[in-house]
Amino acid sequence: MLKKKLILSDPLKFLVQETNNEIINGCFGAVASRAGVGKTSFLVQIAISSLIKEKKVLHISIQNPVDKINLWYQEIFSHLTRQFETKQSKQLWEHLVSHRFIMTFETESFDFSKLKTRIEELKTQNIFVPHLVIIDGLSFDESILTELDDFKKFAKSHDLTTWFSVRMHRHQMSDNNEMMEQIYGQLSDLFNIIIQLVPEKEQIQIKWFTRVKDINNHRNLFLDPATMLIKENPAR
Amino acid sequence: MNTIIQKVRNIGISAHIDSGKTTLTERFLYLTKKIHRIHEVKGKDGIGATMDSMELEKERGITIASAATYCQWKDHEINIIDTPGHVDFTIEVERALRVLDGAILVLCSVGGVQSQSITVDQQMKRYQVPCIAFINKCDRNGADPFRVIDQLKEKLNHNAVAIQIPIGLEADLDGIIDLISMKAIYFDGEFGDIIRTDEIPNSLLETAIEKREELVDAASIFSDELTEAAIEEVEIPDQLLLDAIRQGTLKRELTPVVMGSAYKNKGIQLILDAATQFLPSPMEVDNVALNIDDNEAPFTLTGKKEDPLVALAFKLEDGQYGQLTYIRVYQGKLMKGDSCINVRTGKKIKIGRIVQMHADQMEDVEKIEAGYIGALFGVDCVSGDTFVSPGLNLSMTSMHIPDPVISLSIKPKDNASESNMAKALNRFTKEDPTFTTFVSNETGETIISGMGELHLEVYVERMRREYKTEIVTGEPSVAYRETITRLTEFDYIHKKQTGGAGQFGRIAGFMEPISDDNFVFENKVTGGAIPTQYISACEKGFLSCLSKGPFMKYPVTGIKITINDGASHSVDSSEMAFQAAARGAFLQAYFKAQPVLHEPIMKVVVETPDEFQGNVMGSLNQRRGMIIGSHDMGQITAIEAQVPLAEMFGYSTIIRSMTQGKAQFTMEFSSYKQVPKSVLEEIEKKIKTGT
Repeated sequence: MLKKKLILSDPLKFLVQETNNEIINGCFGAVASRAGVGKTSFLVQIAISSLIKEKKVLHISIQNPVDKINLWYQEIFSHLTRQFETKQSKQLWEHLVSHRFIMTFETESFDFSKLKTRIEELKTQNIFVPHLVIIDGLSFDESILTELDDFKKFAKSHDLTTWFSVRMHRHQMSDNNEMMEQIYGQLSDLFNIIIQLVPEKEQIQIKWFTRVKDINNHRNLFLDPATMLIKENPAR
Repeated sequence: MNTIIQKVRNIGISAHIDSGKTTLTERFLYLTKKIHRIHEVKGKDGIGATMDSMELEKERGITIASAATYCQWKDHEINIIDTPGHVDFTIEVERALRVLDGAILVLCSVGGVQSQSITVDQQMKRYQVPCIAFINKCDRNGADPFRVIDQLKEKLNHNAVAIQIPIGLEADLDGIIDLISMKAIYFDGEFGDIIRTDEIPNSLLETAIEKREELVDAASIFSDELTEAAIEEVEIPDQLLLDAIRQGTLKRELTPVVMGSAYKNKGIQLILDAATQFLPSPMEVDNVALNIDDNEAPFTLTGKKEDPLVALAFKLEDGQYGQLTYIRVYQGKLMKGDSCINVRTGKKIKIGRIVQMHADQMEDVEKIEAGYIGALFGVDCVSGDTFVSPGLNLSMTSMHIPDPVISLSIKPKDNASESNMAKALNRFTKEDPTFTTFVSNETGETIISGMGELHLEVYVERMRREYKTEIVTGEPSVAYRETITRLTEFDYIHKKQTGGAGQFGRIAGFMEPISDDNFVFENKVTGGAIPTQYISACEKGFLSCLSKGPFMKYPVTGIKITINDGASHSVDSSEMAFQAAARGAFLQAYFKAQPVLHEPIMKVVVETPDEFQGNVMGSLNQRRGMIIGSHDMGQITAIEAQVPLAEMFGYSTIIRSMTQGKAQFTMEFSSYKQVPKSVLEEIEKKIKTGT
């Protein structure tokens, strides 16, 4: 019951509509912003949105420990279920956790070949068969583009939807649009969709670029700074 | 004994198993001249470290009971409690932290922040214990103290800052650079007891300057004077920096990090210096008792030795001279020959012999004053009892004691063993509140319960060794619980009128599941439908059904019973009749309330070399484990899972053979969860066949 209600009130449904379902089905996407703007909470919302649809999520984090990632999930989940009965939320939370696997790496110990081996091991031993892979905290530079391309093929062959976080540096942010176009120019062959989080006044605006078409600005979506949940601004 | 309380430090040494706590304590005792030779844990000399006073600890290389000892360093008196490193003995760690004012968190420079470091850190947070961190084993291959500092920040949220850097690492560890005095310090002599101070080697000067800047930056938050000095770029006096670091440490907002190698005797003196410089004296810690006369309201103790006595018995040991009670005095003083009251029993006790402990040796003293730790002989009490001066009714804050999760039946082999077993159990249950024992009404067997398989194994082994008791143990059994899942009404009449006095009682109401309590009884009967004098009999009747649930014969928990109607008879109603009616009502409603069985789920963390992580995950998965996550640290991966306790028996043997003895795991109680249907059928079968 609660699951149904959450699916109906899923904040990501705006994006699903706006991006012709690219956000969920077999997508290779990225969320880009500078540090501390809300990439992780955005990715966690994508993950929870999949979990409530019974899709298993493998959350890879580079640097952050398992407990910290779990806290993100708890926080976002508690905001999403605030208006519902506690007992039901608790039961649903326990159910969702069993569909989620958090895998964390120290920065220096992460590489894509290791990750691929791990995913294959999990699948072969039938320990965990993910539908969605979230990769948070990866340092993006040109040297990993080939590896990313290779991982994209791997993801496709294993039927995995994959989302990355891309951290942009402050000096790159002098002109957001120019910057995004630059990033998009570099990565558009790789990613089906790039979502950009841009702090503007007291809100964090959500902008996106897709390969299908640029349908930006159809809706005014933002992250509510109090809860970090995706919201729509109807005034626009 | 040092009479200046500001110069006293009560400290604990807490860490992950095998990170070198006992070795470190041994070095402390040697350097403070409490012992004259160093013995290693699992030492080749067959003696073992001084703090591991129990034979079993020496054999296994682990510290089980926390031995208390005191030593003097420069003009300070340091009371040290060596705490166990295994999670199964966490109550010992918790007790130690309750009585200590500060702690040294020992971390391995290779293993870093491991699973139990996280548990121990949470305990320190709970009791607000300020700490310094010591990164040990800098002489080992793969040592990287700065990675460990990063982990302290990321995993434990400590504002950790190095106050030293090593001169060389791994086999090249030569000494330590002190970032406060900006000097290189070397440790000469067979046991590193000769300190040689020198200039910082040129090759490390730049790093030392950079790290000192980081230190000044972190400490300046706690001192305006230091901030000004740093901004104006004038020379910073050592004392100014020391004071700022101390302020941060006392507030638990800064964790100064020292480093070295206990085994190679490098940096030990500097840890003692840091403990005396940064950790609080007893006067700097607010200790709060509970005022029993005021509904257990918090009551801050003065800590003055002139005020009435408040002391806590935090550990008991049974030695050759009788029961030894470790005690911390929080206020007033305990004098030989004085009398005080045990708050729990209300009994007056007379203080006989008072000693200060040095592992298993002792020194007689005349008194223990506020802030000090000592031990008493001949006092009948249990662990956690509070002693006060007559007229006071205060109790020290109750300690968090988890319920036992595993049981084992034990049987003595012969008559001699029988009486010894009783003596042993009496002592162990007094020493350790998480270890309980009872005789089963059905089988007549003695059942022991505790926090894990190893916990019980150690006590069985201690009975064999210390009490020469030969024991046969049964299969371990899990503490399952029954509970209901829906609200159900009852309306039951108990009527018996066949010969003799009749019995009559009618009870109506409902039962419902609750999550935050084991049993709640509510009386909503109006108009005297059930006379007031029979209400307690109703509650008693319901309570009597809880110890053995009708569903699977396990204790019933998480249930609320509300009675709202009933009937009585002027002649035939009695307490007995209403108790019987309550039992009938319970049975009437229980099965309709859809009872389920809950089992204890353990948080299991396995640290394994990378190459075995797939196998380990597979083994946890096979045990109905839900893998929460894994953390890849390069060579080692830590896997965290939630696994039913019933599936974890013998896992230590399995994991050893699966990983060539290279993996280790810790296990602690996490929560109770519903047993899946398929497993429930198996348990039912077992109950039916009696296996």
